[in-house]
Amino acid sequence: MSTRTGRKVGTPQGVVGTSPLRPDGIPKLQGRFEYAQDLAAEGMLWAATVRSPHARARIASIDIAPALAIGGVHACLTADDVPGRATFGLEHPDQPVLAAQEARFWGEPVAVVAAEDLDTARRAAAAIEVGYEPLEALTDPEEANRRDEVFRRMRIRRGDQSVRGAVVVEGEYEVGMQDQAPLGTEAGLAVPDGQGGVDLYATSQYVHVDQEQVVASLGLRPDQVRSHPTGIGGAFGAREDVNLHIHLCMLALHTGRPVKMVYRRSESFTGHVHRHPAWLRYRHEADRDGRLVRVEASVVLDGGAYASTTSAVLANACYFAVGPYTCDSVAVDGVGVRTNNPPCGAMRGFGAVQVCFGYESQMDRLAHALEMDPLTLREINALETGHPLATTGQVIQTPLPTVEVIKSLQAMPLPEAGPSDLPTELPGGSGLTSEPQHVTRGVGYALGIKNLGFSEGSDDYAQARVRITDSGAVVETAAIEVGQGLVTVLAQIARSALGISHVEVAHVDTSKIDSAGSTSASRQTQVSGGATLEAAQRLRERILGQFDGDVLDDEGVWRGDTLVTPWTALAAGDWEETVTFRHPPTTMTDDNGQGVAHADFAVAGHRAVVDVDVELGLVKVLRVDTAQDVGLALNPQSVRGQIEGGILQGVGLAVMEELVMGEGVILNPTFTDYLLPTILDAPEVEALLIEQEGSWGPYGAKGVGEPPTISSTAAVAAAIRAASGREIERVPVRPQDIALP
Amino acid sequence: MMKLRFASPEMLVDINEIPDLDYHRVDDDGTIRVGAVCRHADLERSSLLDTRQPTMAAAAPLVADPIVRMRGTLVGSVCHADPQGDWASVMTALDASIIAQGPNGRRSIAVRDFVLGPFQNALAFDEIAVEAVVPTPRGMPAGGYLKLERRVGDYATVGVAVAIDRVGSQVGRAGIALTAVGPATIAADAAAQKLTGRPLTADNIGEAAELAAEAAQPKSDHRGSADFKRQMVRVFTSRILTGLLRSEEEAA
Ligand SMILES: Cc1cc2nc3c(=O)[nH]c(=O)nc-3n(C[C@H](O)[C@H](O)[C@H](O)COP(=O)(O)OP(=O)(O)OC[C@H]3O[C@@H](n4cnc5c(N)ncnc54)[C@H](O)[C@@H]3O)c2cc1C
Repeated sequence: MSTRTGRKVGTPQGVVGTSPLRPDGIPKLQGRFEYAQDLAAEGMLWAATVRSPHARARIASIDIAPALAIGGVHACLTADDVPGRATFGLEHPDQPVLAAQEARFWGEPVAVVAAEDLDTARRAAAAIEVGYEPLEALTDPEEANRRDEVFRRMRIRRGDQSVRGAVVVEGEYEVGMQDQAPLGTEAGLAVPDGQGGVDLYATSQYVHVDQEQVVASLGLRPDQVRSHPTGIGGAFGAREDVNLHIHLCMLALHTGRPVKMVYRRSESFTGHVHRHPAWLRYRHEADRDGRLVRVEASVVLDGGAYASTTSAVLANACYFAVGPYTCDSVAVDGVGVRTNNPPCGAMRGFGAVQVCFGYESQMDRLAHALEMDPLTLREINALETGHPLATTGQVIQTPLPTVEVIKSLQAMPLPEAGPSDLPTELPGGSGLTSEPQHVTRGVGYALGIKNLGFSEGSDDYAQARVRITDSGAVVETAAIEVGQGLVTVLAQIARSALGISHVEVAHVDTSKIDSAGSTSASRQTQVSGGATLEAAQRLRERILGQFDGDVLDDEGVWRGDTLVTPWTALAAGDWEETVTFRHPPTTMTDDNGQGVAHADFAVAGHRAVVDVDVELGLVKVLRVDTAQDVGLALNPQSVRGQIEGGILQGVGLAVMEELVMGEGVILNPTFTDYLLPTILDAPEVEALLIEQEGSWGPYGAKGVGEPPTISSTAAVAAAIRAASGREIERVPVRPQDIALP
Repeated sequence: MMKLRFASPEMLVDINEIPDLDYHRVDDDGTIRVGAVCRHADLERSSLLDTRQPTMAAAAPLVADPIVRMRGTLVGSVCHADPQGDWASVMTALDASIIAQGPNGRRSIAVRDFVLGPFQNALAFDEIAVEAVVPTPRGMPAGGYLKLERRVGDYATVGVAVAIDRVGSQVGRAGIALTAVGPATIAADAAAQKLTGRPLTADNIGEAAELAAEAAQPKSDHRGSADFKRQMVRVFTSRILTGLLRSEEEAA
């Protein structure tokens, strides 16, 4: 027994509110981190996928013989070889594992092969002869709507529908198809267990839902399929849906060998879902003081060929169609159509991004019509705690500092008048294109709001386990680290709750723990964080209770000044606690879209400063400053990382990121032609984190991943509008939209 | 080509190790010679080009991105004959030639005859290009290159190369060539013709810009509409020439 000598109860290292070094940071920087692409197993085969070259075609025949004739080819599987359920899907299993009679989008998988090496696999895939009979593709969303080819329709009616305002502005807006473009392409390894089961290691945001879908399509028992978290190079929504997962497991069980597959870049662009392109129509009516009295909106999203998460994305788009503003007379009609375009689904911001461009463009129009400062108009209408959400009528219960966001933006200093003398800071690529005399400056503002966590009555939960080990504790979870820093923040939460410094996070497979839900909807810090907090708190209480102690720290359990149970003794026990955390329940809305659909909300605002060469249509985004409602910044550096990255993705949608479609075909599925902002395109960012207690997340934390992406696009568009005088009714803003409107 | 698997050649000839091909130099008579393994970056950092060949100096930092510029070459780029390649139009505007060498010796091919079409050049199968030659200027060389990139490192949506040789207050020789607005690099000769043998004025600049826009054969694609590209040819030609006129007036 030792006695404490003057040392106070030490605050452990790396707790909540600090920014400890990420455990995966240095390995990633040094290239030592193992991504899914790096997986390997003894005796492994390589797989490749045969994809439809048509947006829509009848599959008359598939001849695999020429592929099987190639030396080193072990399997060629088609729809006929799917042992269980022929289809998969996150919300509705409507997507064929492999297309059978008909291919419904360009790039749809038709067959898969496994061979001794990658080149042979790709040659075999090319050798398979598929007899396609091209059919007329439905690629126009309006036409799909007319033909009632829809995944979901939404109708929201709130308040007196006859209200009219003195000032009316109308607008039509369009949002192009953005891609998540994760730098790591889809990759995975399936390893047969020799007893009819399989272990899957593949890129994912949600291993439990992958496992369920593999089980269904392979016709196996749940305990025969284990899906393992693996190293992920970015996700942004692209990894919620199954793509190569079922294929790999089929091939592994068919060949009895481990099978690996890695999509190439162009395949990645067709192999995952995209952000829904959107067509928005708005009518805002206000009184002369600028108070919104009525908002009407129509939202059309192109869901592409299969359901994926279109229903939920559409719901979000409609629920947030008015933005963070109050209004008591609202009508929103939404539709998610089915076409032969590539399937669309989850992407950071999930429906809230598209409508934000619409309603914020409208707010600027309204401010203009009222000759009012755009931020003042927003402040007059700001939605805050205690107000009903304009669409669903749900009264906001958690903190929502909309006015503080606006006031913070107002207070941020603007950069010096431009343009810069430095040629590299002028609009246009390398910056040697424009000259100062051709450049005008513009400033624009936008606010955005989004729900945190799953909505509409879904049972949203996460399980986490905290276990005492020799060196401290470990948090076990199946929640996926996609680069956002979950491995750091869960450890911080456990350190704070337990009062110890040494906590690690271990990702375990689906057989070892229940689901953590998806790493999406800005939810893991709140939900898996909530489970971790509760598990750690309970564990600490049980330990203290058992030893009648009052303090737990790195040395063990203390009672007063006496160490009653040293850590070694604790570690010898079987101390663990498993908790399933659920956030406050939500409900499905009624026929008028009314109800408590959401568990929590976050608001953020952005101010963009751009320089535009109007004659050339070139834009330089100089700054995007922001104020964001974060609840509590558990890890300020990670929060800023999310903010800067999210803003860059928002800038991408504003000025360059778009999958260009031609009759259902993606015309630019490469990084040469699909432009991602580089560090040279990155604006300066000043971020103000607004912290307020009261959310149900651990220590009051809110999810922070999506808000940076929601209104940054609209802010940049507004700034371009201010600089150029153009209407800017579409993002991405293309040079020709400015130069030749 | 190979990265995108458009080509999987059975044999590659690596010319990197051939000694003494990495030069670029200016002969006494003002002729500029660029060896086959002289990198874009060498030209970008060159102290020779600023005054003696401003069109090349303007283009060098606009090719691709810094990483590609460390490896890629001017001669390779012209051989590649990509309609979006920047050097082919710069060389065309300068009336440059490529020196080809094969078992039967050397021959010189004007760049405008060298680039036959998209990704096609005039080399025989047993020839390599060893040098690009920019002929002696007929006066004080002036000019510029402008390129519309949507992002750093992007291929040109539109590029315009303008090269003039000033003789006193007159334009002694003019060359204008266009990048990425046709199946191959386009020599806008009628536009250049408008400038030759007279002083630069706002009027003939406007006419030349119009003729250059007419010479373009752009297609609408994900980089922009045909109308927009044509308009950019007009604006670029006008901006480069107006800049030259301005510096002329400032010097006077
Ligand atoms: C990401 C990226 C961006 C780029 N962006 C641009 C851009 O914005 N603008 C631009 O102009 N270019 C761009 N390029 C192309 C780049 O400029 C290369 O320099 C150009 O493609 C030539 O490359 P190279 O000199 O290495 O020749 P290689 O790639 O080695 O050769 C290209 C072709 O020319 C032939 N060839 C090369 N040298 C000779 C020779 N001496 N004799 C006979 N044949 C020869 C080769 O056989 C081959 O067919 C880009 C390239 C990349 C990868």
